Amino acid sequence: MTEKKKKESGAAVKEQMSFRLPGPLVKGLDDVDKLMASISGDLQLDFSDCTFISVEGLEWLEEMLLRAQSKGVSVSFSNVTPSVYKVFKVAHIDSVMGACGLPISGPVC
Amino acid sequence: MTTAVKDNDTSLMERVNHLTRQARLAAAVFSQYSQEDVDRIVKAMTAAAIENVEKLARAACDETRMGLFEDKMLKNFVASEFHYHQIKDKKTVGIIREFPEDNMVEIAEPVGVILALSPVTNPTSTVIFKSLAAAKTRNSIIFSPHLMAADASNLAARVVYEAAIEAGAPKGFIGWVEKSSRLRRETELMMVHPEVDLIFATGGTQMVKAACSSGKPVLGVGSGNTPVYVHKSTNVRQAAMDIIISKTFDNGTECPSEQTLVVDREIADSLIQQFKDYGCHDCSDEEVVKVAETIIDARTGGMNYRMVGQPANFIAEKAGITVAPETKILLCQMKGDLRQHKLAVEKLMPVLSYVVVDSVEDGLNRALDVNYAGGTGHTAGIFSEDEDVIEQFGTFINAGRIIVNSPTSIGGLGGIYNNLNTTLSFGCGTGGGNITTDNVGIKNLLNYKRVPRRKHFTLSFQTTKNIYINPGSIDHLRTIKTKRAFVVTSRSAARRGHLSMVLERLPQDCRVDVFSEVGAEPEWSTIEQALQVMSQSQPDTVIALGGGSVLDAAKVMRLFHDYPDLKLKEIAFNFLDFRHRMAEFPKGVKTQLVAIPTTSGTGSEVTPFAVLKDTKSQRKLSLIDETLLPTVAIIDANLTKSLPRDITSDTAFDALTHALEALVSTVASDYTDGLAFESMRLIFEALPEVLKNPTNVVWRHKLHNASCLAGMAIGNASVGVNHALAHSLGGHFDVPHGRANGVFLISTLQYNASIPHKFMVQSCYPLWVADEKYARAAQFLGLDEDGNLAGKGKGEKPNASNIKQLNLALRRAIYDLSIQCGQPMSIAELGISQENFAAAMPDLVRGAFEDMAVRTNPAVPLFEDLKDLFINAYAPRQRP
Ligand SMILES: [Fe+2]
Repeated sequence: MTEKKKKESGAAVKEQMSFRLPGPLVKGLDDVDKLMASISGDLQLDFSDCTFISVEGLEWLEEMLLRAQSKGVSVSFSNVTPSVYKVFKVAHIDSVMGACGLPISGPVC
Repeated sequence: MTTAVKDNDTSLMERVNHLTRQARLAAAVFSQYSQEDVDRIVKAMTAAAIENVEKLARAACDETRMGLFEDKMLKNFVASEFHYHQIKDKKTVGIIREFPEDNMVEIAEPVGVILALSPVTNPTSTVIFKSLAAAKTRNSIIFSPHLMAADASNLAARVVYEAAIEAGAPKGFIGWVEKSSRLRRETELMMVHPEVDLIFATGGTQMVKAACSSGKPVLGVGSGNTPVYVHKSTNVRQAAMDIIISKTFDNGTECPSEQTLVVDREIADSLIQQFKDYGCHDCSDEEVVKVAETIIDARTGGMNYRMVGQPANFIAEKAGITVAPETKILLCQMKGDLRQHKLAVEKLMPVLSYVVVDSVEDGLNRALDVNYAGGTGHTAGIFSEDEDVIEQFGTFINAGRIIVNSPTSIGGLGGIYNNLNTTLSFGCGTGGGNITTDNVGIKNLLNYKRVPRRKHFTLSFQTTKNIYINPGSIDHLRTIKTKRAFVVTSRSAARRGHLSMVLERLPQDCRVDVFSEVGAEPEWSTIEQALQVMSQSQPDTVIALGGGSVLDAAKVMRLFHDYPDLKLKEIAFNFLDFRHRMAEFPKGVKTQLVAIPTTSGTGSEVTPFAVLKDTKSQRKLSLIDETLLPTVAIIDANLTKSLPRDITSDTAFDALTHALEALVSTVASDYTDGLAFESMRLIFEALPEVLKNPTNVVWRHKLHNASCLAGMAIGNASVGVNHALAHSLGGHFDVPHGRANGVFLISTLQYNASIPHKFMVQSCYPLWVADEKYARAAQFLGLDEDGNLAGKGKGEKPNASNIKQLNLALRRAIYDLSIQCGQPMSIAELGISQENFAAAMPDLVRGAFEDMAVRTNPAVPLFEDLKDLFINAYAPRQRP
């Protein structure tokens, strides 16, 4: 579920972790929380297997992204399925859209 | 509405943000729920509401001190049981409706976060109703209750919410504003909050108004003032009982309840007596004044809110009048002008005003007075056995629900007395400042995404039924059944001996009239002349003998002879799409039309077209309809043998243009393609031979057939830009039609084979294939690369790499044919000076642009395109 990669960015070598969500996201994931506590590089969350997300799941994502931001960890979401992406779109959470790659400033849609 | 957030609003704003945030997340999550999920949740909510109907009714009565506990319970049942029964099987997720005939489906999209106001009069039932509706449509809902009923409303919200969560609903999809002194302010902030998508406003006029000025979409309701006309035909006992049931329901708090009765004099006494027998009190004139002073707020002219939902005895006591214990309703007769009477307004209490009228007209007018006094668009009622009176009432009264022979309050709720949708929100349409007159419900809480599929028209093929095609086929005239024939022809037909060929062959006992006044361009005045003769002779057969103009004229004569009342204006509308045209032609014709062409060009003998000039306006009118198709066509080449060389060539080039334009038309089909190909081939083969040997009937026969085949092709696929240019040029400079076509051919072939500046809008033309079609024509003609007729079968099959070459070959072949026939290929060759041409340019371009021929061209010819096409056709051409 977890995978480590070395990513070269300029002179510094950053560690990139990736984590595949095991299925529907109906509550916070301890594994990710633990990872977040120890990680120093970037984190990529793979949504391939996540076909449903609950309000609790959304709230956890938002809160986790806040923690990541305060630690300077960049989190990105990959392979978000359309039904979950639609939830993100309707939910209007900037940090979640940011993790989906939407620039924080500038025109958005 | 602008709402500035003040400092002391900060904590309020936090609450508002929290509530809307919860609702927003829930709405987002709800988007993933299936119909089964939603139905399970709604069922659980309904069950919880039914379990609590009594508790919630009690809470509402205790808190508001309004209405009647038992009726509040019934309303809670309506909002849960009845509402559930109505919505449980409705589709609200995914594809919710299919329209197979329109090839379209509707897919539901939730509206999102709803801010719902709930009124003091129905604090719990409204919440139950709206919660179920929101869950069924996968929306989040935040309740802003009336301050005087907030605890009861919020209790109802909590009951259904907890059941919903238990059944798997998203957390926070129902929210509510807690009772506090800042409730109103909190609601105002919510109304303009960016996370609120829709305001569902059922409540006092002020709150609905505030909602409407929030800038958000609003499902509002208007206030009521229900007039009920009691017509003399009604059963008085039933009317009295129904009205009592209705007006006393929840002590009159239901806004669709009866406010003023309009009673026919014939039954007034018996109706009032019936009310009295059932326990109502009919107030004396003095008592009416006292009641009015008590229940009407002198300052506003509206009802005194302290009296709303109070029992009749309480009101009587306050008014200082003595009535029997347990009086049901205080009846107040309004004398004098109803429009100035204090009591002619909404009274949500058991006080019922009435007027007595002397006729249906008077009754309808008084009902209108009440209807337009504060309750427009809401509810009205009628008791009558006279269907005509009921229909008149429905026509004149403006009300979203017009309840017939039943109680208006419970009737308005829907489900109990009728099949109206169950609701506690009564849309009043624009009369009440609302967007809908619906009994508002789940239908109004969805966005409807329409998914229409591409329209494919049924293409068909029609032509003249009987076509006689060999030389000598004019003999067919000997066998036609006719007693009275009307021969339409031109003067030249007589000169060329054609007329006598026809007359000799008609049956001996047939009376024949001949009309030979048709000129080069048929005019409406000529048609009228002919119609006069026809009205005398009453022909059973019209025989058209001549070129295209004679045939066109005869088609119109036959139609107007059969339908003398037809108006030319009404069948000559211009149109964008034949299938949507405004012109309405009659169905079928009676008189048979035998078309005998004497030129090989227009193909009019097999087309449903006729072009004529309106004598008054001097405008060309194009008529298109099946009723213009001749019954019989006789394609006898003997009649073309004497055709002069120039006309032979001009008309053949018209036919060639028909074939080429039908081929690339946006409505071309395999049927018309085949005709177009063969027609072209025959022209390429026969025209040079005919010009060499004008009397050789075999080649004349081939050319005559080519013209007829091309006619069938355009009769079904129509023509294109070349004809538009030719019509405009020909009309302006008096150039014969075929010759005008010829000068543009090479330009339009190149134009249509190039990627269009603008593709034609045509649903049944999904692929632009004009260049391929021309290439296939080149292949069919057996052209070699240089455009020479290499012989059948030697043509190259079009592919991506040779399309351009084949197109060029086709243009070269047309150039060569024109040279061979001496056919002009440029406007300069027609003797039109450069100055005259330049001066006419704006008119020429406009004329071509407005021509209906361009409608089926594969490219939309823009103004500039048309101008270029004219300019490029001026100078003599070089071989392409
Ligand atoms: Fe033509």
